[in-house]
Amino acid sequence: MLVIKDLHVSVGGKEILKGLNLTINAGEVHAIMGPNGAGKSTLSNVIAGHDGYEVTSGSLTYKGEDLLAMKPEERAWAGVFLAFQYPVEIPGVNNTYLLKAGVNAKRKHQGLTELDAFDFMSVVKEKAKLVELDASFLSRSVNEGFSGGEKKRNEIFQMAVLEPDLALLDETDSGLDIDALRIVAGGINKLRSPDRAIVMITHYQRLLDYIEPDFVHVLAEGKIQKTGDKSLALKLEEHGYDWVKENL
Amino acid sequence: MNPVEQARQDALSLFKELGLPNKCNEDWKYTDVSRLEGLLDIGGVGADVHSEGLGMVDLDAYRMVFANGVFDAAQSNLPDAVEIVSLAALEASVSGEESKALAKLFHVSGNEPLVNGLTALNAAIASDGAAVCLADNSVLDKPLYILHVSNQNNAIRHGLMLGENAQAQVIEHFISVGEENALSNCVTAVILKNGASLEHSRLQQEGKKQAHVARVEVKQFRDSSYTFHGIELGASLSRTDLVVSLSEPGASCELNGLFVLDGRQHVDHHTRIDHQAPHCVSRENYRTVLDGRSHGVFNGKVVVHKGAIKTDSSQSNGNLLLSNHAQIDTKPELEIYNDDVKCAHGATVGQLDDKQLFYLRSRGICEEAAQELLVFAFADEILAAMSNQVVRSYVEKAAFAKLPHASDLDGLMG
Ligand SMILES: Nc1ncnc2c1ncn2[C@@H]1O[C@H](COP(=O)(O)OP(=O)(O)O)[C@@H](O)[C@H]1O
Ligand SMILES: [Mg+2]
Repeated sequence: MLVIKDLHVSVGGKEILKGLNLTINAGEVHAIMGPNGAGKSTLSNVIAGHDGYEVTSGSLTYKGEDLLAMKPEERAWAGVFLAFQYPVEIPGVNNTYLLKAGVNAKRKHQGLTELDAFDFMSVVKEKAKLVELDASFLSRSVNEGFSGGEKKRNEIFQMAVLEPDLALLDETDSGLDIDALRIVAGGINKLRSPDRAIVMITHYQRLLDYIEPDFVHVLAEGKIQKTGDKSLALKLEEHGYDWVKENL
Repeated sequence: MNPVEQARQDALSLFKELGLPNKCNEDWKYTDVSRLEGLLDIGGVGADVHSEGLGMVDLDAYRMVFANGVFDAAQSNLPDAVEIVSLAALEASVSGEESKALAKLFHVSGNEPLVNGLTALNAAIASDGAAVCLADNSVLDKPLYILHVSNQNNAIRHGLMLGENAQAQVIEHFISVGEENALSNCVTAVILKNGASLEHSRLQQEGKKQAHVARVEVKQFRDSSYTFHGIELGASLSRTDLVVSLSEPGASCELNGLFVLDGRQHVDHHTRIDHQAPHCVSRENYRTVLDGRSHGVFNGKVVVHKGAIKTDSSQSNGNLLLSNHAQIDTKPELEIYNDDVKCAHGATVGQLDDKQLFYLRSRGICEEAAQELLVFAFADEILAAMSNQVVRSYVEKAAFAKLPHASDLDGLMG
C-alpha cells in the first residue's frame, strides 16, 4: 500500500529523516517507536502532506501513485488518515459538519452520491459508540475545550467515520488514562481489517498489549534502525533506546 | 419658535461651527470624510424608492419601513397597544410640555464624547425616524424591525426609550437600491430606565458607492442591560460612533461588532463606554475580516470614572487580513481613575492558522473550502451572540456571500 524509499526530510534547514525505508501492506499493523525528536511526527506529517517539511530526496508511493504529488485533501480522498499527536482546536467549526464535509468530499471523488444529513447522523452516532464518545461532542466545535484524552478519542472517532485505508496514529495513547486507553484501543482493534493498514506511533509497550502489531520498527537518527515483531517492543521497554544504538 | 424647532436651529448652528470632521481631529485620523462635502443636503425628501420584498422578509416582527428617510406606513406593520410611531408624525402633533420633552431628542452638545458636525447636522435636518416609548414593565412581544431603503441622501433619527423593566429587541437594517453616490446620516438615541433590557442590531448593507455615518448613544440607568450587534457589510465608507454611558450601579452592556469587507471599503467604529457608577459590567468583542484593499478601523475606549468601583470591563478585537493590501488600525484605550476594577483588553491581527488549515485539509476538505470555513467560523463567533436565529442566519448568509469561494461550503449553515 505504501512504499517509502530513501526518504530525506528537512525542517528549517535541519535534516530530520536521513534515508528512511519502510513498506506497509494492506491488513498489516505496524508500530513505530523511537526517542523524542527522532522524527516520528515528521514522518507522519510528510505522509499526510504537511507543507512545512521539505522532502529533499526519496519517494513515497501510495497505491502505486506518487504521494508527494498529491495535496493533503487528495491524500485524504485516497484513504490516508492521520490521527494527530496534538489535535488542533478549531473554534466555530462544528465537529459533525467537518466530518460530513470530509466524508462527502471523498464520496464525490469516488463517484458516489453524497450522504444526506439524516443518513450521515446515523453513521456518526454508531461510530461514536465505538470509542464511547458522548453524543454531546458531536455538536461541539472541533476539539475546542476537549481534554487531552477527549481529543484523542475524537481522532479515532474521525478515523472510524472517514474509513481510511492507511491510518497513521501519532501517539494516540499519550495522555490517556488506563480506562480510556482500553476503550480507544478497543475501537482501533474493531477498525482492523484486511483492506486497511494501521501505523501506530508510540512510546509505550502498553498500547501494544491491547493492539498486537505485525511489525515493530525503531526510528532513531533519521532512519528505521531495527525491525522485528512484538518482542522487539518488549526488549525496548526493558533496555531503552540506547540498547538499539549499541547494537547497530 | 417651538422647542423642537429651536433645538434643530441650534443644531444647525453647531454644524456650521463644527463643519465636517477632518484628520486634524484624533478621532478622525484614519477616516477621510471630505468626499461627503457634496452629499450633506438631503434635498427633496421622499423620492420614489421601492421597498416591497426587500430586507428580512421571513422575520416575524413588527416592521417599520423608511424610504429615503420617510416613514412608509403602507409597508409597515406596527402593534396597536404600544407606543411606536413615526418621529415626523410625533413632531407634527406635539405641543407644550410634550414638545419640550421631544426637543431633548434633538439636542446636541458639542461637549459630548464623539459629537461632530455630522451628528449636529443630523439633528438639524433628519426627516423622520422611529419614536419608540415603551411603558414601564412592558415587553415588546416581537422584535421591531426597522428597514431603511434609500437611493439618495437621507438623514434619519431614532429615539428608543424603554421604561423601567421594559424589554425589546430592535433590528435596524440599511440597504440601498441602485448605485448612487449618496450619504445616509443616522442617529439612534437609546434610554434604558431601571431594569430595562434592549438587544439592538444594526446591519449596514448599503450599496458599493454609498457612504454611511451613524451615531448610537445609549444612556443606561440602574440594572439595565444593553446588547449591541453592529454588522458592517456594505457601503464604501462607513463610520459609526457608539457611545454608552453606564450611569447607575448594576448596568451592563455588551457590544459586538463584525466587519466583512473587500474591494476598497472603509469602515470605522469608534466606541466609548463610560463607567460612571459602581458595579457596572461592559463586554466588547469586535472582529473584522478584511480582503482586497479594504481598511478597517476600530477604536474602543473605556473610561472608568473615579467613583466607579468594582467595574468589570473586558474588550477584545480580532482581525483577519485575507490580503496583503488590506489594512486594520486598531486601538483599544483604557482610562481608569480608581484602583478597584477588573479590566482586560487585547487586540490581535493575523492571517489564517496553518495548523487549522492543515487539519481540515487532512480530513478531506479542499484548500479553498478550508480557508472559507475558517474565515466563516471566525466571523460567526460574533454572530453567535445574536439571540434571534432568523436575524443571525440572514446575516450569516449575507456575510458569507461576501467571501471569495462561498460556493464550496453549501450547507454550512444547515
Ligand atoms: N516545525 C518545525 N520547526 C522546526 N523544527 C521542527 C519542526 N517540527 C519538528 N522539528 C524538529 O524536528 C525534530 C523531529 O521532531 P518530531 O518529528 O516531532 O519528533 P518525534 O515525533 O519523533 O518526537 C525535532 O528535533 C524537532 O525539534
Ligand atoms: Mg511526535
